[in-house]
Amino acid sequence: MTEPIDVVEALLFASEAPVEAERIQEVLDLPSAGEARELVRVLGERLDGQGRALQIIEVGGGFRLVTRPEVAPWLVKLARSRTRSRLSRSSLETLAIIAYRQPASRPDIDAVRGVNSEAVLDNLLDRRMVRIAGRKDSPGRPFLYETTRDFLVAFGLRDLADLPKAEGDLVIPEPPVDAAGAAGSGEGGESSPATDAAQQDPGSGGAGVTPRG
Amino acid sequence: MTAETETEAQGLTVRVESFVGPLDLLLHLCRTSEVDLANLPIRTITEQYLAHLESVQFQDLDTAGAFMVMAATLIYLKSKLLLPIDPEAPPDTLDEEGELLRQELAERLREYARVKELGAWLGEREAEQALLYGRTVGELPPPEDVPLEDLSVHLLHRAITRLIEEQRRQAPRQIEPNPLSVLERMGEVIELLRHTWSILFSSVAGQERIRAEWIVTLLALLELVRLGQARAHQAELFGEIVIESASATDTASAVPRSDDPTLGETAHD
Repeated sequence: MTEPIDVVEALLFASEAPVEAERIQEVLDLPSAGEARELVRVLGERLDGQGRALQIIEVGGGFRLVTRPEVAPWLVKLARSRTRSRLSRSSLETLAIIAYRQPASRPDIDAVRGVNSEAVLDNLLDRRMVRIAGRKDSPGRPFLYETTRDFLVAFGLRDLADLPKAEGDLVIPEPPVDAAGAAGSGEGGESSPATDAAQQDPGSGGAGVTPRG
Repeated sequence: MTAETETEAQGLTVRVESFVGPLDLLLHLCRTSEVDLANLPIRTITEQYLAHLESVQFQDLDTAGAFMVMAATLIYLKSKLLLPIDPEAPPDTLDEEGELLRQELAERLREYARVKELGAWLGEREAEQALLYGRTVGELPPPEDVPLEDLSVHLLHRAITRLIEEQRRQAPRQIEPNPLSVLERMGEVIELLRHTWSILFSSVAGQERIRAEWIVTLLALLELVRLGQARAHQAELFGEIVIESASATDTASAVPRSDDPTLGETAHD
């Protein structure tokens, strides 16, 4: 007999977008979304316990059935390709600004980054990491951008609250506002002793980022 | 010899760190020289910035411009330091405007440092997620109603642009023949007038009405009229232009057939 938990597994297997608890509840005629969550949790534990190559992750407001990172090398070999194309540093910085400001206009982004971000934004729009949320009521009525669900999925975030807490709001640098940043931690990529020393400097303005995982 | 050059080539792979913007470069300089952002030492930072500017590879003009704007700001601030406002003030004191500018710069740097860190964090997340493979295309039949949540004007614009480009690529291109020169066309008209007493403009310019050809022919005709080599008249507005030989001495055409030119002309009208 087909158990509800097997149906949940099938739903996650066949779907390309994250499946919300509410959707599982609806499909299975469950009394509450909480029960759907419980089914997913049990299924996830079962997969973990059996040491299967698949796991369930919660991203973009729903659940996905994906492979475990340990098997990635074989999948890459199967695909006869390199690992997936990754976003550039410019793109990541731009995404960070949009993710924290929700929405942000291009002049806002340019002001923080100090460079023109037009090409970067076009690329992010094409990759569906951001979308146009409307127009800003300022000179030129520039477009406002916000992040998409694809963004959450690509970065493995349940929702925007999963982003590391930034100290205060991200400030657009027009009026000099006092923003005493906490000591930075885990600056990616750089490891020279001089850089590390500078990071411990309380004035260097870290965002209190603690990378997960 | 080959082995030697090979190892040499491999040993010399120098990776130059690239900076994504002027703030990125400035931040790097501040960190490597362990500078407190709160009181940015304009003198040293400006020198280092300008020195680094020469090694930066610019991707485009916009980026290059952004780096230059920052250089200009730094030089401006440095120039202010050279003119002390108050001889008793400690060195490296700026006037009010300069101090404000320095504060603003420090603030921007601090802000950029946060963004850079967040970007790095996102990069790590992306790297982790890139190892997980799930479905990207659903196995399920498409839903009856298309969810409109993730669509945007941008995608619509992309679609129509792509369509237009596609069409443009498919449409046969019209290849223009090399237009004649006015001089060549003048020669042709004279050649024709040597054998006939009068010709129609359209028969010279071509029935296909190719604009360039008609213009060249008209210019040639006007030139011939100016030089007294031909006469032209047009019976009505937008009507056919009749070109006649103007030379009275042209015995080949004008004299022997003096009876029929008028007939020929009226026959054309």
